[in-house]
Amino acid sequence: MSHTPVRVERRPASHFILEYLLALPVGCAVALAWANTSSESYYRFADATAFAVNDIGMVFFFALITKEVAEATLPGGALHPWRRAALPVAAAVGSVIVSIGIYLALLDYLGEHMLKSGWVAAVAIDIPGTYVVARLIFGRHPAVPFLLLLAISADAIGLAAVAVLNPVGDAHPAVGLALMAAALAGAFALRRERVKSFWLYLLGPGVISWWALFLAGVHPALALVPIVPFFPHGRRDRGLMIEPLPQAHDTLTQFERWWELPVEGVLLLFGLANAGVPLHGLEEGLWAIPLAALGRPFGILAAAGVAIAVGLHLPLRVGWRELVVVGCAATIGLVFALFFAVAVMPLGVLLLQLKLGALVTIAGSGLAFAVAWLLGVGRFAR
Amino acid sequence: MEIADRRRARRLVTTLLLVIAALWRVAAQEISLPNAPNSLKFGVIGDSGSGDREQYDVANQMTRFRAKFAFDQVIMLGDNIYGGQGAQDLVQKFSRPYKDLLDAGVKFYASLGNHDDPLNRRYPLWNMGGELYYTYARKNVRFFALDSSKIDQKELAWLENALKSSQEDWKICYFHHPLYSDGATHGSAVDVRVVFEPLFLQYGVNVVFAGHDHIYERITPQKGIYHFVEGASGQLRRGDARPSAMNAKSFDRDMSFMLVEIDGNQLSFQVISRTGATVDSGTIQRQVRPAP
Repeated sequence: MSHTPVRVERRPASHFILEYLLALPVGCAVALAWANTSSESYYRFADATAFAVNDIGMVFFFALITKEVAEATLPGGALHPWRRAALPVAAAVGSVIVSIGIYLALLDYLGEHMLKSGWVAAVAIDIPGTYVVARLIFGRHPAVPFLLLLAISADAIGLAAVAVLNPVGDAHPAVGLALMAAALAGAFALRRERVKSFWLYLLGPGVISWWALFLAGVHPALALVPIVPFFPHGRRDRGLMIEPLPQAHDTLTQFERWWELPVEGVLLLFGLANAGVPLHGLEEGLWAIPLAALGRPFGILAAAGVAIAVGLHLPLRVGWRELVVVGCAATIGLVFALFFAVAVMPLGVLLLQLKLGALVTIAGSGLAFAVAWLLGVGRFAR
Repeated sequence: MEIADRRRARRLVTTLLLVIAALWRVAAQEISLPNAPNSLKFGVIGDSGSGDREQYDVANQMTRFRAKFAFDQVIMLGDNIYGGQGAQDLVQKFSRPYKDLLDAGVKFYASLGNHDDPLNRRYPLWNMGGELYYTYARKNVRFFALDSSKIDQKELAWLENALKSSQEDWKICYFHHPLYSDGATHGSAVDVRVVFEPLFLQYGVNVVFAGHDHIYERITPQKGIYHFVEGASGQLRRGDARPSAMNAKSFDRDMSFMLVEIDGNQLSFQVISRTGATVDSGTIQRQVRPAP
């Protein structure tokens, strides 16, 4: 009896995601060591580099994340058609509500009232971090895109809150709005003219968009979020966070290839500039973010339950046990929680509390593995 | 010796000891400040708003000392209200304990700490004018009440402008998180230091008061600026001081408050415990720095 060899398509995770595992933690570790041994020089460095890293460098990190979302709306993508995203979006809403509720209630109990304005950091789910954990637990499984969509939705809610509720500096919304309209018109015109060089999108509409957000008081790190969807792209999506095919030469893919490495540098600097916090001397409020994150699985389960009750369906091979593990993986806030923290909280001891809380959520990866093992899910299936 | 004589002698010794103790107590409760007629006199309290009996004890001592040292102003170093922040809390943790002082016309000028509700900047008895940071002048002194919990570029620009335009002899900044502290629980807020201190140095700030660590500390001048930590006017972390080389004096055995007098180029201070004992006192001369 002969066997016909089955060709298995290999879909490696993108280099960016895998190397993210190195770049950000290295930056965070160096920052923690520096801040706790030579704090004054560290804070001077962090103060001097914060704007360049957080407001300019992170533009390209969010652009790469937006690229994934834009591609996911193509045929074959996790967001195509849009209704496929309904259940993870509902789960994200549950996650956000429970996270905010726990965060505010805990701070009220602790009497840390000044920290309440940092609630946006409590809703953040780290997209690359959760992806890595989910892939390690589930391998190729529908739970992975479900988790990614959930994380993207929760972060989109957080980003919208940052944009709307936390104006930066003296805002000029009318000027910002006019400039943003010009940026979008420019991007549309480039797309219509079939311009393929991503540089023209970046240097034209991208720069205008950055100024538009800056003047409008919205965090300018989001400058390329409305521009990237205009980049010419392939016809189909191969999946979220998947390495592009070597023969792919569309603008989005070229953009990803060119910026992967610089963004790893940005993430290294982001960790370095933002993760330096004293490991002692902070108030109990630092636990608000990790504890809010711990409530997230309950919010996800409850919201998914309601969504299923009204007729939505879980993806194939995703049951309640998988959903619990997804919820546990979603407790990782890390880079998004750090970003939201620095976006909404000015310099000071409160920001340090938020940052340390964001860093502590990395323990969510251990929680996800432990719960997956207990429930026999993914690689731990019995 | 007869038993009756022994009893008499014992009674005499006891009476003498009681008299000595009473005299010592009275002496300890004396004002060691110059108490000059036209000087600026003010009190300093930090981390006060517990609403506990101990806060009331400190407040009562302040009232007693005011009879001898007629200060008409108190600066508050943040964490003015712990826990609930409602109207009843403001009564129980502020207006009731300091009622005698308020009734006597003493004005409180607050800065806020991490436990305060930012909305309480509008509380009229704290004279913050609805702002988280503000400035005011009394005699030859300009005070800058700052927000050290959330320092944005707007506050820094405002502070630089206010310091630059200040014409008074003395510049005193006060806020919640100490730039220098040997408190074991919190210690120095170095991240705050790197943004505030360059401005303080550039524009000649003389003295800084802060709270947060629930002890009293006097720090040796840092880069020429005097720093005091008074975070024990309603909360106490007994044994929390870990004096290092920068520490000139610390007191962590009981709660305390400060009295300060500024007369010309001289600032005198006295730190008084909950029981009325003087735990630190001294005089500093105004630093003369070249104009920026």
